This record gives sequence, C-alpha cells and structure tokens, in this order.
Amino acid sequence: MALIQIAEPGQSTTAHQHRLAVGIDLGTTNSLVATVRSGEVDTLPDADGSHLLPSVVHYAGNEILVGSAALQHSVSDPLNTIVSVKRLMGRGIDDINTDDAHHLYEFAETDSSVPRIKTRAGNVSAIEVSAEILKTLKRRAENALGDELTGAVITVPAYFDDAQRQATKDAARLADIKVLRLLNEPTAAAVAYGLDSGNEGVIAVYDLGGGTFDISILRLNKGVFEVLATGGNSSLGGDDFDHEIALWLSAEAGIDDLRDPAVKRAIMQQARSAKEALAEHESVDIDLDVAGTRWQGAIDREKLKELLLPLVKKTLMSCRRALRDAEVENQDISEVVMVGGSTRVLIVREMVAEFFECELLTGIDPDKVVATGAALQADVLAGNKPDDEMLLLDVIPLSLGIETMGGLVEKIIHRNTAIPVAKAQDFTTYKDGQTAMAVHVLQGERELVSDCRSLARFELRGFPPQVAGAARIRVTFQVDADGLLIVSAREENSGVEASVDVKPSYGLSDNEIETMLRDSIEHAEDDMHSRSLREQQVEAERVLEALDSALAVDADQLLSAEEKEKIADARQRLVEVKSGADIDSIESGIKQLEAACEDYVARRMNSNIRSAMAGHSIDEYSDSTENVDAES
Amino acid sequence: MPQDILNSNFFELFGLPVSYDVDLNKVQQHYMALQKQVHPDKFASASDQEKRLSMQHTSWINEAQATLKDPVLRALYLLKLKDLDINFDNETTMDAAFLMHQLEMRERLEDIRQKDTKHEGDPLAELETLAKEVKTSGEEMMAGFNNSYQAGELDDAREWVRKLQFMQKAKKEINTLIADIEDALM
Repeated sequence: MALIQIAEPGQSTTAHQHRLAVGIDLGTTNSLVATVRSGEVDTLPDADGSHLLPSVVHYAGNEILVGSAALQHSVSDPLNTIVSVKRLMGRGIDDINTDDAHHLYEFAETDSSVPRIKTRAGNVSAIEVSAEILKTLKRRAENALGDELTGAVITVPAYFDDAQRQATKDAARLADIKVLRLLNEPTAAAVAYGLDSGNEGVIAVYDLGGGTFDISILRLNKGVFEVLATGGNSSLGGDDFDHEIALWLSAEAGIDDLRDPAVKRAIMQQARSAKEALAEHESVDIDLDVAGTRWQGAIDREKLKELLLPLVKKTLMSCRRALRDAEVENQDISEVVMVGGSTRVLIVREMVAEFFECELLTGIDPDKVVATGAALQADVLAGNKPDDEMLLLDVIPLSLGIETMGGLVEKIIHRNTAIPVAKAQDFTTYKDGQTAMAVHVLQGERELVSDCRSLARFELRGFPPQVAGAARIRVTFQVDADGLLIVSAREENSGVEASVDVKPSYGLSDNEIETMLRDSIEHAEDDMHSRSLREQQVEAERVLEALDSALAVDADQLLSAEEKEKIADARQRLVEVKSGADIDSIESGIKQLEAACEDYVARRMNSNIRSAMAGHSIDEYSDSTENVDAES
Repeated sequence: MPQDILNSNFFELFGLPVSYDVDLNKVQQHYMALQKQVHPDKFASASDQEKRLSMQHTSWINEAQATLKDPVLRALYLLKLKDLDINFDNETTMDAAFLMHQLEMRERLEDIRQKDTKHEGDPLAELETLAKEVKTSGEEMMAGFNNSYQAGELDDAREWVRKLQFMQKAKKEINTLIADIEDALM
C-alpha cells in the first residue's frame, strides 16, 4: 500500500488511491470473497479456479486445512472436521444441545460462556473456526490482487442477534481483518442486482442458504435502501432439506441407526447430490453404499416436493409475517430477489412465485449474489466511490429489552426500528444506600425472560448512596449501524458515570480475544509489535487524509484563523512522528489532533445537515403553498 | 434550522411546520436527505470522534423520523412540546362508553381465539373485519386529537391520545393472534 500521497495543495487527496476492499460472504456451507476491480465486480477464485470455499475446517495434527481439502476429511474424521460452524456462532452450549440436535462434535468442559469443540489440535471455539475461514479468504484476496487489504464488508443473516453479530466481528478481529461494516445478506443481494439505480418500489429478498432462512422487505428510492422489515429462521436451510431427504433415504435403505457420524454424513452427502441433480432432471438414480448396506433406487421431483413442502411452507409463513411487519401486501412487492443455493430447488421457486404473485430475480448465481453486493458496498465504504449516492439504511431484526420483576421482559428497542438507534431508560434503587445494580439485557419478541435470548448482564457500580428510590440511573442503549449494542449509564442527580461491567452471555471477553491473538502462531511477540505499529501508521495516514480533504472544502467558512493555526500545529506534530517506530507517540499524536479538531468536526456535521435541508427548502417549497421556512 | 441538532425539535429538524398534519412524503424525502449527510457509512474511514458524532446524529434523526411517521408518537410529541405530562401509567379513569367498547372488542377477540381451536368459522376473516373496525376507530381518534389540538384544548387532545393508544394495542393483539392462527394452520 502506498503510504505517501502526493497531491497539489488544497486538492482533495481522496480520489487518487484505490483501496483494496472486499466483500465476504461467510456462509454456513460455502464462503466467498469478491472485490471491485476497474469498475467490475468479481468473486475471486483460489489457485484451482474455484470460487466457492467450503466453510469447512479440518484440524489435522499440526496443520489446519480449510475448504475442499478439509471437506475430504469430513467423512473419515468427522470429530476433527468442523462443518456448518456458522450455526454455532454466538451460541451457548444449551442452545447447541437443544436446537441443533444433529450436531456432531464433542464439546469441552469450560469456564467460558463460549462452547469449545474438542479437536486434535486442542479446544476451539466457533469464532476461531470462522477466523480460519476468513484468513483463507483474506490470503486469497491479497494474493489475487497483490495488495494489502484495507477492510472488508462481511455479511450476516438479517436474523442474526447481537451475540451472533459480535461473534462474527470477533472472528474478523482474530483474522486481522478490519470490518468496514457487517451487512445483512439480503441487503447485499439487492445491491448486487443494482436495484439501487433507478428503481423505486418495494421488493422482497428471499434468502434460503445452507443453514438459515431470511426474508427481508426493502423499499428502494433513489439509491437509498431502506429495510422495512426482516424475518426468518436462523435454523432452517438447505441442510434441513438434506436432512429430510436423508431421513427418507435411510428409511428406504433400512438404515435405522444414524448415530455413527460417518454413516450420517455419507447419507447426507448422497441426499444433497440427489437434491442438486433434481434441479436439472425429473428423476435421479441413487446408489447408496454405507455401513455394509447397499441400496439402489431413485427419487423424482414429485417425491422431493412431498418431502420439502412442510419446510418451504415454513419459509412462506415467515414471509407473511414480514409483510405484515412492513405494513405492505403481497401485491405491493414488485420483485423478489432469490438468494442462496437452496433457491435452485424448483419447488422453492414455484411456491415463492405463487406466494408473491410476481417475477423472481434469478439472473445472478444465487451462491455469489451476496458476496457481489458486499463487494460493491465495501468499495463505497472504503472511499473508492466518493460521489456514490448509495446508502443502506437498516433495522434491528429482534427487539432488545431488559428483565423486570417476575421474569418479564420490558422492550426498550422494538424490532424493525431503524438503526443506529439510542434509547434511554431510567432506573432507581430499591434499598437505602444501594450503590450498584444488575441489569439483564435480552433479545427476542416473547414476554418471558426464559423465552428470550440472554445477551448480557451488566453491573452498574459506583453511584453515590442515596435513600431507596431517590437515585435516577439513566441507562442508554445504543445500537450501532452493525446492529451491535453498546450500553452506558449515568446517575442523573450526581452526574456520576456508572461503570458498566459487561458480561456477554455467549461472547468472548476482550481478554479471551487478546489471548487468542497472542496464542496464534501468526502473531508471535515481534509480529504483535510490528502489527500494532503498522496499524497506528495506517491510522495516522487515514486521519491526516480525512482532515486534509475536509479542510480543503470548508476550513475557511468554519474556522477562525486562530483555530486553523491550532489544528495546523497538531497536524504538523503528527506528520513528524508518524513515520517513526514509536507506537505511543503516534497514538498520542492522533489523539491530540483529534482533540484539536473536536469543535471543527461537530461544526461540519451540523453544517452538512443544514445544507442538506436548505437544498430541500429551495427546490420543494418555492412552488408550494405551504409557508414553511426551513432555515428557521 | 436549529444550531444544536441533538436538542432540536423534530419538526424543525425535518423542515416541517409544528402540526399534527404532516406530509409523510416530505418526511421520507427529508429523512433520506439527512441520512445522506450523517449516516455512519459516510464516515467508514473517518476518525473515531466523527464516527461517534455520526452515530449520535443518525440515531437522533431516526428517532425523529419514527416519531413523525407514527400517529400516536407524533401526537404524544406535540403534547410534550406543550409541556404536558404524557405518562399515563397511573391514570385509571376513563370514559365509560369507551371502556365498554374496549371490553366488547376484547371479548370478540377471545371468542375468535376459542373458535380457532374448534375449527368453526373463518377466524382469519373475522380478525380482518375486527382489524378494519379498529383502524376506523383509530382514524376517528386521530381526527379528534387534531381538532382538539388545533383548538388549543390540550386536555381533550391528551384524552384522545390515551384512547388512541388503546387502539394501537388492540391492533397489535389482533396481529399477534393472526400470526398464531397462521402458525397453527401450517
């Protein structure tokens, strides 16, 4: 990456450099990486030319295999070969035991809230397994493009809760990938179809992947994507199709014991290939030979339909609910974008088209469509297309609430609220002299704590002792653009900021992540140092670049001569230290420059908002009869 | 336009007159124009401070939009601007005729719920009818609020909002029941 930029004084420096940013579809069954090169978006193949990376990680004695190489071991060594790890992301051991009965691994006893799978190479969490997949994709991108990665947009199912999103972000951190944004898969798909340009209207994105089903209702308007509602099922997908077919297959073949993982996987693979073949043919022959049993037979589309009908109906049920949440009717939907390998199954297409009474968009390979959209968004976020109008407005998929008396959940932020969003809630004490309180945050739609997902428990401490009921503790729940929750608390009478001690119910603590980073061979001591130094240098460049282009635009309007000088001094100090090897002084240089710019940045934000509204007042109100003064 | 966006009046922020009647198209247009300036995606490579400001401003604009769009939240907000207490938690008295009507509606809802298990009639169609009635009543209450508000009879306006909230709750219960019945049918 070019670290020194040469630009004419006063000229914007942002347009000169193309930053390598990628979109990553971290899928249950397969993962992909895509990028925009010379205006064209492509998924990137590995050395053998295959674009899909099976989301499989095999822990051999002293090496870790990812992708097809790992997949080869899934039958012979299932306990050390992790498939469909996405289903375990952000999940506790209890979820895994109840929801995903057909999971095949041994879990280690651990103090951490994050379950760890026993493998030959030690105990690994789902986050670490995902990080291996991400590292492989990162290497693939850097090799293909001959440059260092600036950042990535990583997609997640719209239905993912906070813990699952956080786990995905943690995996990226372990893989040393800067996340520009977590993007919902359906939104990415709509972007891939270029539905942002020119289109106005309401569309649906039907995304049936290997392990998850998502339905999203989006409104498009002049480059802005607004998610109106999302719904779905985080444990329903093509794997369940395979499972249904496998059950039928084993019954036909007279194999009633599926407990042996190797037998089960062999039958699942047979089921999957039969399903795929039926997209092309009316009927396929099956020759099953496992565990000493040989069965030869056939399956046709009619039979497949019968087996899958209940599952497809389940997806349509979610569709109906999403339409209701979005307050639109079937007929309002102008197009349905089909995403995910499972939408190749004909019965799925038939039933979806019938349900929405409209045309399906199937032109882009349903396996690549999400990565493609993510890459387009990554290109915009990395600043490669400064004039792009595209904007993705998203909603929170599940309500956030807190536990109240009697094991009930009080909702604080309702599902399908536009994010980012902040909501404040006041609490008080129930005992004299109480200086701490516990808050339990949950996510879900149900009324009982036991029916919702526990996200985190917070301890608020350090507020001054008062009589019972006198303290007013305002807790602010902020959900960021990635759908992640940040909590802060403050005692209003004294103004004391209470410290928030977060214990994520199913996430890794910062310490755990640090330890993992240190433990991994790729991040030995020296490496850690040079990595931090490089990070700070890049950060310094980024800050300077952003500042210079801002100053070029509006320094004269927004800053006095004195303020300009103050900023210029801080800027100069950072320029002087940034090429050195002292991490701390670069860091403090950045901090000081940011402090010097504080007022300026705030003024810019306000000025942008004002000019946006002023523009509107001119073109809209001039021939309007209403007497509105937008400048007031 | 207010100097301090984060303490601004939602109507002013969206360049609209302070009124219960709002042009929802304009709300939407202005919302998009504002988002294009402040959304965190516009600050993906900016400093942490700018990211934080962007998040705060976008949150505020999102709240403004949600408030202006929703007939109940908008009404409550107008009352709040007039410094009226809009916490109804401890108020139990209410127009008797209205309460009777509410009770009847709840009984009908309960009947439909019972029927569903016995498979008689078409519960979904009945719920559809009930939903339409609730919608009509809700619209009457909005008009009632607007008249009282415009006439400066704020206590009356406040009472209309209380009733409107009942209708909103009824609508939610109907939707939940529809969803439950659909689930059972699958």
